[in-house]
Amino acid sequence: MRNVATLNALPERYPYSCQWEITCRCNLRCIMCYTDCFNRPDSIRQELTTPEILRIMDELAEAGCLEVCFTGGEPLARPDFFTLYDHAVTSGFLVTVFTNGTLVTEDVADRFAALPPYRIEISLHGLTEETFERVTQGRGSYGKCMTAIRLLRERGLPLLLKTTAMTVNRHEIMAIKRYAEELGVGYKLGEDMRPALDGGEKPFQYALSPAEQDELHRRDPALWQEACRKQVVPPSPCRSGMRTFHIDAYGGLQLCSGNRTQSYDLRRGSFTEGFYRYLPTFPCPWKAQPPSPLLQPAANHA
Amino acid sequence: MEKVYIKSPDFVQRDVAGECILVPIRRKLSDPPCIYVLNETGAALWRRIDGTRTTQDIVTDFCEEYEAAADQVMKDFAILVDDLLSINALQERSVVTDA
Repeated sequence: MRNVATLNALPERYPYSCQWEITCRCNLRCIMCYTDCFNRPDSIRQELTTPEILRIMDELAEAGCLEVCFTGGEPLARPDFFTLYDHAVTSGFLVTVFTNGTLVTEDVADRFAALPPYRIEISLHGLTEETFERVTQGRGSYGKCMTAIRLLRERGLPLLLKTTAMTVNRHEIMAIKRYAEELGVGYKLGEDMRPALDGGEKPFQYALSPAEQDELHRRDPALWQEACRKQVVPPSPCRSGMRTFHIDAYGGLQLCSGNRTQSYDLRRGSFTEGFYRYLPTFPCPWKAQPPSPLLQPAANHA
Repeated sequence: MEKVYIKSPDFVQRDVAGECILVPIRRKLSDPPCIYVLNETGAALWRRIDGTRTTQDIVTDFCEEYEAAADQVMKDFAILVDDLLSINALQERSVVTDA
């Protein structure tokens, strides 16, 4: 019997890991958020229902999917969150939850501790109340987020903090990173902005310029090393849809969160059909061009 | 007295890409999150554990399906049971048999 971190005998195309945006609703209005445009009642009414999500989740399990990441919006803003979460964990998924932390109470932390996730990732966009709430636009959100970090750590839950680097918080990023290190939890820095799901460009207002990113990287050896690695290693063809895939709040199966140009509707069709028959045909500008049907590479040439 | 083995409800069996995986769903939070992969023999033995069959029943049933030496399967089963007991994926219970 092997105790393993990951499996290494997966087929080239296999639905191993799912990022699932279970809602666009959120109690905050972060200035760079790309889902907030759909955080409104008419859109929320169109989101997958509890039975729909449970049915699709069972299809993922049947197909052999092992990792599920619940994201949003704010996943905990769904009133049925723990129905979904408990079902996922007890079905044997390794569950990661992306959250802003502000809805984590003692009871919520206890429920996580009773059925532990693989990991909880909290967005910490500032280390002072002023900066944090300038990003979230939610009064009192800073205190609630810091309480969440304390509650989850007290229970020994696996935690990671992360920050999106922006013009409004770049002066606190080193302090946030040090804070995570002092707590002994993981830390991730994100720098890429993406347009809002309705095509809006508002998130880019807060993006760092290349010079500002460079200045930030030079302040920390790990950030500098990562920036250099990205410069040196040529980008390989995108592997989205091979072992990873994305499901949006309305049941759209897509290559990834950042590429929703085409969707397969999981409300109408089966996951297996969507993953194996349709996903491979979805366009991605970062994928290698498929060979022409007139000239196929031979699998064997004995 | 013979022993039977009961699977813990704190572990879920998953079949992922042809591999039989045990996922602990309630674990000590001091333990790192991990999963366990059974090899083909381990998986076939695990699937025969049902809380009622004895070691001898399981080994006999296994040997009827696969061409394997009973004494080797008995050794393999003992190792597997030790491993599974060590991670609390099984509970052991003694039962009185007719024999």
